[in-house]
Amino acid sequence: MGAVDKKQKMKKKEEEERVKEEAPRARSEPEALDGGGSPVDSGSDYEDYSEDGDSEDYELSEEDLESGEEGAAGSGSDQDESEDGNSEDFETLEESESGESDSQEHKGSVRTGNKGKSIIDNARIDDGGSEISESDQRAEESDSSEDEVPSRNTIGDVPLQWYRDEEHIGYDVKGKKIKKKERQDKLDAFLASADDSKNWRKINDEYNDEVVELTKDETRLIHRLLKGKAPHAGFDPYPDYVDFFKWDDAKHPLSNAPEPKRRFIPSKWEAKKVAKYARAIREGLIKLDKPKEEPRFYNLWGDDLNSKDRAGHLAYIPAPKPKLPGHEESYNPSLEYIPTQEEINSYQLMYEEDRPKFIPKRFTSLKSVPAYENAVNDSFERCMDLYMSYRAWKKRLNIDPESLKPKLPSRKDLKPYPVTCYLEYRGHEGAVVSISTEATGQWIASGSADGTVRIWEVETGRCRGVWTIGEPVQFVSWNPLSELPILAIAAGQDVLLLNTGLGNAEDQKKIKELLQVEISGTAGDSDEQPLVSWLQDDKHKHEAIRLRHFKTVTSVEWHRKGDYLSTVTPAGESRAILIHQLSKKVTQKIPFKLHGLPVSSVFHPSRSIFFVSTKKNVRVYDLLKQKLIKKLETGLREVSSIAIHPQGDNVIVGSREGKLCWFDMDLSSQPYKTLQCHSKDITNVAFHRSYPLFASCSDDCTAYVFHGMVYSDFNQNPLIVPLEILRGHASSNGRGVMDCKFHPRQPWLFTAGADSVVRLFCH
Amino acid sequence: MDGEDFGEEMSRRVQVRFVTKLNPPLKVPAASIAIPANLTRLGLSTVVNNLIQSGNPDWNQEPFDFLIDGELIRMSLEQFLLAKGISAEKILEIEYIRAVAPRKEEDASEHEDWVSAVDGSNARFILTGCYDGLGRVWDAPGSCSHILGGHSDAITSVSVVNQEGAESVCVATASKDRTLRLWKVHTEASLNSSVTIRAFKILRGHKASVQSVSASSAGDMICSGSWDCTINLWNTKELAADDNPVTVKKRKVNNQVEESQMEEEAVSTLVGHTQCVSSVIWPQPETIYSTSWDHSVRRWDVETGKDMLNIFCGKVLNCLDIGGEASALIAAGGSDPVLRIWDPRKPASSAPIFQFSSHASWISACKWHDKSWFHLLSASYDGKIMLWDLRTAWPLAVIDSHKDKVFCADWWRGDCVVSGGMDSKLRISSEIPIQ
Repeated sequence: MGAVDKKQKMKKKEEEERVKEEAPRARSEPEALDGGGSPVDSGSDYEDYSEDGDSEDYELSEEDLESGEEGAAGSGSDQDESEDGNSEDFETLEESESGESDSQEHKGSVRTGNKGKSIIDNARIDDGGSEISESDQRAEESDSSEDEVPSRNTIGDVPLQWYRDEEHIGYDVKGKKIKKKERQDKLDAFLASADDSKNWRKINDEYNDEVVELTKDETRLIHRLLKGKAPHAGFDPYPDYVDFFKWDDAKHPLSNAPEPKRRFIPSKWEAKKVAKYARAIREGLIKLDKPKEEPRFYNLWGDDLNSKDRAGHLAYIPAPKPKLPGHEESYNPSLEYIPTQEEINSYQLMYEEDRPKFIPKRFTSLKSVPAYENAVNDSFERCMDLYMSYRAWKKRLNIDPESLKPKLPSRKDLKPYPVTCYLEYRGHEGAVVSISTEATGQWIASGSADGTVRIWEVETGRCRGVWTIGEPVQFVSWNPLSELPILAIAAGQDVLLLNTGLGNAEDQKKIKELLQVEISGTAGDSDEQPLVSWLQDDKHKHEAIRLRHFKTVTSVEWHRKGDYLSTVTPAGESRAILIHQLSKKVTQKIPFKLHGLPVSSVFHPSRSIFFVSTKKNVRVYDLLKQKLIKKLETGLREVSSIAIHPQGDNVIVGSREGKLCWFDMDLSSQPYKTLQCHSKDITNVAFHRSYPLFASCSDDCTAYVFHGMVYSDFNQNPLIVPLEILRGHASSNGRGVMDCKFHPRQPWLFTAGADSVVRLFCH
Repeated sequence: MDGEDFGEEMSRRVQVRFVTKLNPPLKVPAASIAIPANLTRLGLSTVVNNLIQSGNPDWNQEPFDFLIDGELIRMSLEQFLLAKGISAEKILEIEYIRAVAPRKEEDASEHEDWVSAVDGSNARFILTGCYDGLGRVWDAPGSCSHILGGHSDAITSVSVVNQEGAESVCVATASKDRTLRLWKVHTEASLNSSVTIRAFKILRGHKASVQSVSASSAGDMICSGSWDCTINLWNTKELAADDNPVTVKKRKVNNQVEESQMEEEAVSTLVGHTQCVSSVIWPQPETIYSTSWDHSVRRWDVETGKDMLNIFCGKVLNCLDIGGEASALIAAGGSDPVLRIWDPRKPASSAPIFQFSSHASWISACKWHDKSWFHLLSASYDGKIMLWDLRTAWPLAVIDSHKDKVFCADWWRGDCVVSGGMDSKLRISSEIPIQ
């Protein structure tokens, strides 16, 4: 007992090195314990062996056979070498061990089935007590694990269970029994472990029955193994690839030889081959065009569109395919296709054309299917369809109709424009045919079919004066000069230039002078019939000039300087349009030939240009050069009115069919925009003098107000935005709004209605 | 059950205390009472009337108006409190005033033609202008004391210039015949028939119809706005005949009376408006306000003749008055149904601070009450005259006595509204209690 303990202490050094080997072994021990098939029996066997020396020998000899070969090679030479190096350790061992134990040690070592163990044991066996050979062999054999140390116990890989009930755990090298240590009380063990900070590193080696403390390196190694890494930290599993086939001068070719000449010479062999093929083709031996394969099957359901027929005849349109039969037309369709009796009855209540053409029926077999009664009828119908109805290609465009609308600014941004009617000017007894605003905007004159002309105060709606003309008034127009408030009135065959009595005393004096006509004052050539007769009008208390035309006058327009005025007599032929000069009391006809019936004439707002509109076209004349400048082709059926933009480059034309044309004279002689807005005749159109507004009024009792912006930039086309529809007038005798005029300074619109009311629409 | 229902119905009650600045017969006890929260102005008025009646048995019912925190109640009490976020927990102080509405309609004063102008600034008479070219002075409803004859066209505007002694009052008229005339009206003569008088001074200089005339507060000058886009300033003083630089015309009337009529030209002209000057007013000695059809309100400095302030409105303006808080607010109406009120003291004053839009047509006249900071009237072409209080957006009262367009309206004697219009009548709505 005491000897064993001593031996343990002495071997401590070695044990520490052995831990690596022993730790796994310690783990495997429980298995060994369980794994023993018949521990009792084998235990008894073992005892037998241990006691019985002969049998041991026998066993030993067997072991020798195995291990002897391995040991034989180096044993001779190595034994001597290691004698001086390692002998000391083992000598000390020998000293401590008694001679008796040798034999036991011998026997115990024989048991090891392990190869490594057997080697060690062999060495021990070989020379009885000397461990020199053993240590030598170990050093030689285990090159990878040099620190492997033989365990103290020599029982080998037997289940430890066998020694459970024994007092010893095995035998040492010398064959002495290694006594079991006294088991520590659990509580003591726990307390000891709690005190010892290194306890977590301690492992109980049951095989050797000792406590092993792991070193730091060992624990680190265990951790690395647990993580699945290489045991040594220094090992690099992924070393950089070293490309041995690269070298610095790799860009140079392997061979520095020049290109051979044959590479540049056409091959004779190839030329021969080509010539042979060419000859063959010429002789017709080789055919280049492959014969086209006729399709074996006609594609009954295919699309005809791609067929050759279409390519040949552009007008050809293939017949539409008849509808393909569906499941319900099967002779034995599924039950869900079969209508119930109620459904069939309900078909009778439907209209003929809504009724389903085909009612599915079930037949047990094809044999029982009757002949189709409508076969002839159907094919006749089909043929009729194909023959009678013409076919045409229809192009369908998927365009959002909203996207076709032009992008227009919001109406709110285009304020002010006339919206609401606040004032009415009542007093006329017949339709108000024509209105005109005075230059300052304080007065408005209106001419009516009842034969009167009235002047109204714009602000209050008070009628300032009434003049009875006698004939239905066709047209009224103020002189554009604010200091000459002369009103030109067209009624019947006369044009009346009326002093309205407005203006201060000096103005009145001037007006009275202007409106004096000498008795002999007849204009025109003396030998011919005068164009018009300038007469002093004595019917009215106010001074007035009466210009008697020979036909009905429909319109009077003043020149911007207030001296000239033009009159239109549609039936006047060559004398249809006359220009009168107020200051000299002379009349002249325009030196242009008119094409068609004249409708109205307008002076250009700033230049000496004269617009004459006939029923179809508008002609623009230069009065100074006396020639035609432009002809605006309206494309309208019958022009009714014309207005010039205050800058003079844009013209709007209203027509009897309710269309409004905007001409940009710089752009073209065709309309820039044609607006179809009114449902009835447009009676008049008007531009505002300063605001970008224009309006049209119509017999449908409405007036439309538009935003018409003309930009000074020539690249920008005029912007036209419809703003407001002004309603309020009542229809009378099929006529609606007869005239519309803008207030000269405010964004207000006056409208004259056939209902004998003049309305003012304010912003 | 009935009791419970009743309790539920009455559950929303508010504690109120009625206060007033009115005189004792109209005062109610200061104790707070609980009244249903769903009471409207009528209900509150009944409550106050009952309270007064309890102390004074022979009390006649009287309509009242109610103010909470300086705002007139125009909905039910509950809605008002909710809208204004006033807590109903504490005792609510409700101030009551007598409802501003005419109690009586006086007899109409007939004119020959449309009544275009009226001035009620003198308590003793009403001055009117008519489209027949005559000005008229009315002592009392229906009794015309003076006829001012001489204009050859419609009178557009009239103004009482100053008080010349006790009997003689100077008045000015503007007309479409491009002249202004100054008249002296002797008010002591209370004759049965009206006296026709002639102008003592004719002011010529405008090139077009004169639209508006206004006298300075001192009374020594008048200003006039015209269709020729100018504002002219005129002297009203009657200069002695010898040092009068302007021609004096002697005119014989019926070969008997010889009257002198002076003609005088404008002292100065304020140029700046681009269109017809529709209304002028001269509230302070150094400033003139004017409105024009060029959509602007301008303030002119009389000394320099420059416009110091230009408020752009966007609409044609026809009438103007200065009044309200510290006599600084500008009220103006024009070619749309909105009565706008600007505060020129605000730095960015182009936006109106109030807009009253109950009318249906153009506004032809607006006048501030000369005692109250809150009340003003407006007359419109829709035939209505509306009384406004700045403390509510609804009209206090609508006077609907005219049949057609109303052209002019003014306050008279502090509690009457005089107005004239297209029906050729001068209407007087009296007994309007404005404290």
